[in-house]
Amino acid sequence: MGTPPRARRVGGPRGSVPLTPTGEDEPGAGAGDALAPGVAGALREAYRSEWARVVATLIRVTGDWDVAEEAASGAFERAATTWARDGVPRNAGAWLTTAARNLALDRLRRRGVEAEKVREWMAMEEFSGRADGPRDPADVVADDQPAWDDRLRLVFTCAHPALAMDARVALTLRTVGGLDTGEIARAFHVPEATMAQRIVRAKRRIRNTGIPYRVPTADLLPERLGGVLAVLYLVANEGYLASHGDELQRLDLTAEAIRLTRMVVALLPDADEARALLALVLLQHARSAARVDADGELVPLPEQDRSTWDADELTEGLELLAHAGGPDRADSPGPYRLQAEIQAVHARARTADDTDWPAIVDRYDALAGFADSPFVALNRAIARGMAFGPEQGLDDLALLEASGRLDGYHLLPAAQADLLRRLGRTEAAAARYRDAIALARTAPERRFLERRLAELD
Amino acid sequence: MQYALFYAEGPDALPYVPADDNVGEWVDEVVARGVSEYGERLRPGHDATTVRVRGGEVLVVDGPFSEAKEAIGGFDVIDVRDLDEAIEIASKHPVASFGRVEIRPFVQWPGAEPGARIVPEGFAERAPRGRRYLMLVVVDPTGERSDADGDADATDDDPEAWVREMDGRGVRQFGEVLRPPSDATFVRRRHDEVLVTDGGFAESKEWVAGFDLLDVQDLAEAIEVAAKHPMARGGAIELRPTWPFDVHGDQVARAESEADAWARRHEPAASEALEGVSR
Repeated sequence: MGTPPRARRVGGPRGSVPLTPTGEDEPGAGAGDALAPGVAGALREAYRSEWARVVATLIRVTGDWDVAEEAASGAFERAATTWARDGVPRNAGAWLTTAARNLALDRLRRRGVEAEKVREWMAMEEFSGRADGPRDPADVVADDQPAWDDRLRLVFTCAHPALAMDARVALTLRTVGGLDTGEIARAFHVPEATMAQRIVRAKRRIRNTGIPYRVPTADLLPERLGGVLAVLYLVANEGYLASHGDELQRLDLTAEAIRLTRMVVALLPDADEARALLALVLLQHARSAARVDADGELVPLPEQDRSTWDADELTEGLELLAHAGGPDRADSPGPYRLQAEIQAVHARARTADDTDWPAIVDRYDALAGFADSPFVALNRAIARGMAFGPEQGLDDLALLEASGRLDGYHLLPAAQADLLRRLGRTEAAAARYRDAIALARTAPERRFLERRLAELD
Repeated sequence: MQYALFYAEGPDALPYVPADDNVGEWVDEVVARGVSEYGERLRPGHDATTVRVRGGEVLVVDGPFSEAKEAIGGFDVIDVRDLDEAIEIASKHPVASFGRVEIRPFVQWPGAEPGARIVPEGFAERAPRGRRYLMLVVVDPTGERSDADGDADATDDDPEAWVREMDGRGVRQFGEVLRPPSDATFVRRRHDEVLVTDGGFAESKEWVAGFDLLDVQDLAEAIEVAAKHPMARGGAIELRPTWPFDVHGDQVARAESEADAWARRHEPAASEALEGVSR
């Protein structure tokens, strides 16, 4: 039983392009017209790079999320035929936006929106160029801001705090990421109908409650950016933790989070925490191939073959952290920077024994100041155990256990077992491993703990 | 876009500290910005009277339809550009710092005149003729439809007839239907942080679907008006007396002087008032 090969190159082609559902190996198979490989590749590339832009612009122009998405899909379908016949246009993005806009206007006309209104929208689009749409009062207020990329409006609207977190995640992946509902549903292990309804409700709520389609004003921006990053962090984490699933076809959520975070970093280059999040996720993703062995078993960090870590992702992550700065650079590092710096310490250690644990403890101390999280406390205790001796870690863990805040969480007894093992307290370690095994949530984790227990004797 | 703001303690309320109450500054700001249409404080939950009509019989109980912590303590109608501005305004209200503010959009009727106000222009300056009650129209999804059995006058469920009658009598001042609780947004402020949550709780609970402001002679007339509303048959109507106060006054002195209001019900007992209705 091997594990599915994991995408090493982040942001590589995905199978979401209309008319090429079977992916790169069999272009066009089972989808009607066979596409020349060059056109199929260009389409996939355009889908990846242009979907969010096309949808975001159409939402601004029409104010209707469903029309925008349908028209964007339609434009890609049209591209498959037209590009195969006439060749791939030089500016594929502009071609797609124009095609989608025409489809959207058609649809609105057919729906009975008065011709007058549609003409008005078109005139505004043409009159004011691409930077300004229908003038709502909000835009007047926001005039002191730069002409934001439409994609940024979309990102902020999808991550609005008045939407529930699961709705924000689903909507971001669907509308910004261009993933189809089935893919998202499978990634989060919910029925497709449930996910479809979640997305429909989120869009309805945006319209009904008056959530603006706008980049927040400067005073709100840091707080709202935090909300955007929280969505991307959650997507990345879901990918990281669930990466040893047993399904053959699985959306690589971490790779998706990297793609979307890259976009946010490109759009807001001065946002230090966005860059830090990108670094964090890259540094974690770099280890993804090493985290699971050929049999699908979990390999803990100290035992990973560091030569299999993705060198490009490590380099990019470390560079993002090194070239910090910009006007938004906080005086003290934010939570994503601290977490990224912890990953950077691991990335720089040539062997597990080289790890600079005191540096990691410093970061966890700072993180604990941001949020009173039992998970931070757990990791801090482990780091202190590694830096200052297992007894120190066990003392910290005993306090955490007494607080009852991690009751039922398998990694607390697992951490205690590991530190007890290091002290040679075999019997106590075995008892804690058994506790952890009983609480473990995934089969690979359970098997890992069982191996550790067996190794004690 | 117009929203109703409802103030309540909510399940995680902190103690109210009158010395921190800067409601005067809040009122000054919303008036200066021109976003406020009208707002009122309401007398405590134990002064509420809840009216239901079942099988043609008018049933009244003392107290609010909901738990005390959820009971609405006041409201405002605001007209702002979007939800972000509504959140900003709600987050600055003193109640947000210890209780919670619920933001509910109004239903936007197709073909409605753009920019039409819910509260008539100049209403805030108009003196009441009698007593003002906020009439909350409550939907009870579990409640059985008790059709107009035994009630020959109740022709159908059309609230328009009720609105025409009560407007004609001059008792209804204004009112509107709200979007459902799934479109509510809750705003709280804790440790200088604004917490925003979506209101999507279980819809099996009773919920406020709309409201009207009444200007009546007394509780008996308010009950009579409420009982005629079609929703009194399927759901419930909560009547809450308004409780004006000087927003620019000394809130510490006000809170001290109001201790008695919080200790006991000052409205007539609902059952007594009902006798007044039937006479």
